[in-house]
This record gives sequence, C-alpha cells and structure tokens, in this order.
Amino acid sequence: MMRPYTPKDNVQAKAYYTDRFWVAPRVPEEPVPEEGVYAEDLAAVKACCKVLKAYIQRGQLVIYINPEDNFEALKVLKEERWYEMLSEMSAVDFLAERGGFELFYQLLNLNTAKRIRVKCFVEENQAVESVNPLFRSADWAEREMWDLMGVKVNNHPYMKRLIMPDDWEGHPLRKSYPLEGDEFAQWYEVDKIFGKEARDIIGPENRDPARIDRYDTERFARLGHEVPRGAPAEEAEKSEETPVRYQEEEGVFLIEKFSPERSKVLERRK
Amino acid sequence: MAQHQVNYTQSGGLPVALTTVDKILNWGRSNSVWALTYGLACCAIEMMASGASRYDFDRFGTIFRASPRQADLMIVAGTLTKKHAEFIRRLYDQMTEPKWVISMGSCANTGGMFNTYATVQGVDRVIPVDLYLPGCAPRPETLQYAVMLLQQKIRRESANKSQKPKRLV
Amino acid sequence: MQQTNKLRPFFENLEFERDDNHMVINFGPQHPSAHGQLRLILELDGEQVVRAVPDIGYLHRGMEKMAENMIYNEFLPTTDRMDYIAATANNYGFALAVERLIGLEVPRRAQVIRTMLLELNRIISHLFWLATHALDVGAMSVFLYCFREREFAMDLMEDYCGARLTHSAVRIGGVPLDLPEGWLGALAKFVNELPSNIKDYEDLLTENRIWRMRLEGVGVVPPEMARSWGCTGIMLRGSGIEYDIRKEEPYELYDELEFDIPVTDTCDSYGRYKLYMEEMRQSVRIIQQLIAMYDDTPPELMAHAPQYISAPKEDIMTQNYSLMQHFVLVTQGMRPPVGEVYVPTESPKGELGFYINSQGEPYPYRLKMRAPSFWHCGILQDLLPGTYIADIVTIIGSTNIVFGEIDR
Repeated sequence: MMRPYTPKDNVQAKAYYTDRFWVAPRVPEEPVPEEGVYAEDLAAVKACCKVLKAYIQRGQLVIYINPEDNFEALKVLKEERWYEMLSEMSAVDFLAERGGFELFYQLLNLNTAKRIRVKCFVEENQAVESVNPLFRSADWAEREMWDLMGVKVNNHPYMKRLIMPDDWEGHPLRKSYPLEGDEFAQWYEVDKIFGKEARDIIGPENRDPARIDRYDTERFARLGHEVPRGAPAEEAEKSEETPVRYQEEEGVFLIEKFSPERSKVLERRK
Repeated sequence: MAQHQVNYTQSGGLPVALTTVDKILNWGRSNSVWALTYGLACCAIEMMASGASRYDFDRFGTIFRASPRQADLMIVAGTLTKKHAEFIRRLYDQMTEPKWVISMGSCANTGGMFNTYATVQGVDRVIPVDLYLPGCAPRPETLQYAVMLLQQKIRRESANKSQKPKRLV
Repeated sequence: MQQTNKLRPFFENLEFERDDNHMVINFGPQHPSAHGQLRLILELDGEQVVRAVPDIGYLHRGMEKMAENMIYNEFLPTTDRMDYIAATANNYGFALAVERLIGLEVPRRAQVIRTMLLELNRIISHLFWLATHALDVGAMSVFLYCFREREFAMDLMEDYCGARLTHSAVRIGGVPLDLPEGWLGALAKFVNELPSNIKDYEDLLTENRIWRMRLEGVGVVPPEMARSWGCTGIMLRGSGIEYDIRKEEPYELYDELEFDIPVTDTCDSYGRYKLYMEEMRQSVRIIQQLIAMYDDTPPELMAHAPQYISAPKEDIMTQNYSLMQHFVLVTQGMRPPVGEVYVPTESPKGELGFYINSQGEPYPYRLKMRAPSFWHCGILQDLLPGTYIADIVTIIGSTNIVFGEIDR
C-alpha cells in the first residue's frame, strides 16, 4: 500500500470542509482620496520611488513598493512626512503560492495620528536593506524576522537569532514548518542536556494532551490511592484509601493537631 | 518556669521527648521548605500572590529564596521552553540535597495548551518531579495545598534519602 | 546511578578573561528582579555598564504559529497568556482586530462592560507594577500593600468571569455574560476606596529619600530615543510626548468619556512612576463614569451577525436554525473576509496591536502581535550603557516589561 502524497509546502491546519460555491468576501480597498494627508504622503513616496499599488483599507493607507526601494521610501516618509515611529514590521509567508514573502512596515505619525503600511514582496533568497539607521526599533524586528521567517536582511549591525536558540535549525514561522516541530525540535532539550544516547531512556514527547495513564505509577500517583513509585498498579486498586487530609493520624508530634471542630469560618472578609 | 509546665505523668516522667532521627529531621525539613523563585510565566504571578499579603506563604515556613544553594524546593511556575531547558537542569543540579520539585500549572506538567515546537512537553523530561499541580493558572490556595501535600510526603520518607542516587529524570 | 550530564557552561562566544579592565557578567535568564526570563550580557567597567546585550526568547511559546492553526474563537484564550497581568486587554485587542476585519458593531452594553474591564485591568496591572518595582528597589511594605488592593480587584474579575488571572472575559462580537448581581456596587466601593490607598502609596514613596535617589535621573529616555525605538504608553508619555491611543484614535467608548492623559518631560523613572499613579486615578474616574452609563443600556451583549457570531444561548436552545449555525461556527469557525488589518489598542503597557492577514479561511493566514514590551525590552541595549549596575534593576522595573508578551 502506498501512502497518498501530501504536499509539504504548507503543513498548517486547513479547513476540512469548504463549500465549493463559497466566494469569500473581501475587505473593501478604497482609492486614496484626491486631497488630505494620505494623498500628500502618497505623492511624497511616488516622487522618490515606484509605487505598485496604493489603497486605503479600514482607514489605513497601504502602499506597495519594490523591495529595493524600502529604505528610500521609509526615509522620505520619516523625514518629510514625519512618520517617526516604526510600530511594527514583519513578513507573511507566501512561499507556497508565490515563492516569497510579503514584508510590511507599519508606520505611525505621532502628530496627525495617521498610520501607513508599506508593503513589498521579496523572493525567497532575496535580501532587503535594513532600515535600522532610520528606526532603531527595526533592529529587533529584523532579527526576529530572520529568526522566525528566514527573510534575509542586509547591513544589519548584529544579525543573530533573537527568539530561538543559536543552535536551532529551521525557521519556525514558515508554513512548511509543522506546529509541533520537526525531529530536531522535538528532541532538542534531551539532546542538549543528556545527549542523544538518553533518547531511549526519556522517550518521545507525549503530544496528546488528553492522554492519562492511570496504571502508570512511575509518573503519576492517584490521590488517596498512593503506592510506592513503580509498584504494580493493582496495588492501588487493592490498597485501602489513604486519607487526603493535611493532618496525619500518626503525624509529627510537635505540630498541633488540627480538628475541623475547632476551625473557624469567617462570615466576611476582614 | 519551664519545669512546671512539664507533664510528669507522660514521657516516663522526664522533661524529655523521645523520637526517632527520621521524625525529628523530617519535622525540621517539612516545616521549613524554602522555595526557589522559579517563576517562568503566568503561574509566577500566582506564586507571588501566594507569597503576598492575602495568602501569606510564610505561615507554612515557605520562604522564597533567590539562590538555588539556599533552596529545598523548586516550584516550576510556568511554561518551560526548549531554550530555557538547560538552565532549569543546571539550577536543579546546583540545589543541595534533599530537594523537591513541584511542577505548577498545566504548562509545566505536560506543556499544556502550548503544544508547539518551542515548549518542553512537561518538565519531567528534564528534571524529576515530586508533585504535579494542575490548573491554568492554579490558584494560590492550590499551591498552598500542594506544599502541604509535599510536607506530608517529606514526613513519610526516610531522612537519609539523600544517600540514595537520584534518578536521571 | 546518575550519569554526569552534558551541561557545560555555555556563554555564546563570550570571552570572560580579557586584556582590558572590562568584566563580562551574565544576568539571568532566571533572575528574581528581571520580571521574567530576561537574560542580559553586561560588559562592565568597574561598576559602570559599557555594553548590554539583552537576550530574549526564553518564554517563546510559538503563539503566532498556534494562531495559524486555530480558528479565531479558539485562539482567544491564548491571548490571555501574553500579557498575563492584564489579560483582558489582550483579549480585547484581539477581539477588536477581528471585529474591525469583519466590520462589526458591538452592542452598547457590551461596550460599557468591556471598557470597565479594560480599566479595571489597567488598575490591576499598574498596582502589580508598583508592587514589583518597589520590591526590586527595596521597599518591601509597598509590595504587600499593593497586593492587598490587587486581590480586591482580582475578586471583582473573578466574580465577573470566574478566573483570577486568565480571564477570557471578552468575546469576538461582545461579551459573554452580563454583570452579576451586586457587581456594580462592589466595583463602585472598590474604586471609591482606591484613591485613598493610592495616596497611602504615595505617602510611602513620593517623598521617600531612598526612593527618589534610586529613581530620579535613572533610566533617562530622551524623546528621540523613545520615538525611534517605538516606545508607547507610559514610556512615551514619560518622555514628554503626549500620545495615547485612547484619545488620539478612540475606540470603544473612550471618545465619550472624560479623562486626562498625564504627561511628564522628566524622561526618568521617577517621572514614569508619577504617571503610573496618575493613570490609576484616571482609571478610577473612567470607571465611575461607566457605572453611571451602565443602567441606560439595552440588554444585548453580542453583536448580531449570523455569519460570524453565534446567536444568544436562548435562541440556540430553542430555535433550530440558530443551533445549526452555532454548530457550524463552533466546528468550522467563522470565515472573515479576505484582507488585512492592523488594529492598535492602548493596553496598560502601551500600544498593543494585532495585525491579521486573512485569506478567507477559518484560520488566520498570519497573525502578528505588536507587543509593547518587545520594544521596551529592546531599548535596554541603548539605555543601559553608562548606568551603574545597581540601577539596572530600577531601569528594568520602570520599563514594565512582561515576558509572555515579548517572546509570545
């Protein structure tokens, strides 16, 4: 028997049922108005580099540019249009459909409270210029983007993994990376701490959150039916119920015995 | 005077209490379980709350220590990630025997809701655990109950447990 | 028998023995004053920091990856674990982003309840900040007092949603529950008593000689640095830039409410401490206005949008079509329109934004969380050089970072 081939370029969860007559609605993309702040912003960007597409979506201006122009466009927006804060930047993985990433730079103008999203599309191995000289916040954002998505950035002062460990393999936020990790990820801590030879002792990860083994006395104890570690589980069934109370009968003599009669329940909080 | 408070009809008429070494050592150990502040994530906030004014952990003799050398108990409060795993093992190795571990919260027990590439699926893959404490996040009362159960456990075991080799995991 | 394990000290190519007088020390990742799992590699010249390299990722749990594998409603409880000190603020940020993506209007009573919870969470978060910051700086008694008040606020949250820490009190399209009996009275009692408690903290701290010496002139963030690093919230307002998303880009009921935005231009930790105290007073003011607004609202709690939001429970239990639609929404999930949206909200820490890229599937194609603490932690590498090692804890404390949010 042969296993059916499943494509590996997008291993994320997918809807198991889609009505084939279903046409997904779209968030409206409104044209940029003739005048106003956004029109001036767009004109400033158009003056310095090529704008592929520009529209307003849910009240924010979205500009598509070529990836080579990212530094120039952001510089104009920062210095001429006072978009002084890079509040967010990251990438979206479109490797399966289009063979690249869509980068977005989310900018904020503190004076007019306007937000702009500058977007560009980079191929898989194409590098973009770092905008770290313009915005210090790009320092960590670009490192995170490299770490999790694998988008290359040129001229970054300290390009190193930020989130994952230095010796990690793969870029976890790519669509081709499974949620539960590849083999390297699943054995990472065991390999690192105890060495590969301890894999047999420790065993594979339990990824089933609902699994409980009541006969496993090595790792679990049932409250009220406790047996020594590793004892056969039948003993737990046979043994008398051990009281689950704080005060033992034959307890330590120096501690005052607690009796429920003498305890006091407060009517209201002090 | 102290001698007048002694009940001469008990303990053979002597102001002496007889006990075993096990009992007296375990009495001391179980009533001064000093915990290492091992707050990792959300459960750390509940761990702090149980040390703070309303829940007042000091009543149980549990005082949080910042150094593993001074601690008997490691309360792993929160998600253990793969990047952090080596440090928890190293700090566990630095604690002096006898030592105990409470795994607090679902993330520390089994990975909890974070069934992902970055999370260790249960701290018991890295260090041996004495008590698992369910909840996300467990309430401070739950943590106090866990420490009380641990005290019970300590009182039952033999006092020179530290001589026995500890399991790898 | 225990095997010797493989752990050897691992310091990422750092040379501890150097020719000059500098010393390299490692701070964290498990440090009691680091507010989580922050690791700092510090290069010291005597007691002065020459270079600081923050190392994060010790609490990276893969939330953004989880979001791509979960339907929208399923992901909401995960946002609790981001900024776990004020969980409702995260729930709300995510719910608002999805609502903005769909284009949904929330009923007015839900808006009132949400705003109340948001401000209550702001108080909880600020109290927690004050407690831990004071503890780090050395004022133990403030820690105990703040936690006393915080427990009363947590009781209120618990009475409303049943959880102390991880609330999930906001749903996409509204709130799941109306306020319980007598809750408003308890809330009014709490907020009426809070200002006198805040005054107690201020009496303990504001003119305290040690507190002022430890905080004044420490952790100075010039406005240019704050803008360049994307600082938001109190980190930005502490540097003299008046920008609060609640005022500038109002969402929910904030445009109807009267409140002030405290700003200071001292740029240091002491100024930020004063802002935190003032913000708590403003939150009290907001909640008092909301309590008066609650009674006039119609009883609907969830928006009416059958394509995206389940019907009320009574309808599900009595009407066939509502049940079917509820079943589809729970098992398959809602399918928002194709498009992308970035929605900022003002969480207690700063600007909490959610970027959602939807491809019309029940799963978000990409969900990026813009967590304020991420940038407030990054700024440490510019902020720490030149300061003394004893001030590091003060600076980390006054940035108010939470690692669930930084590493996500």
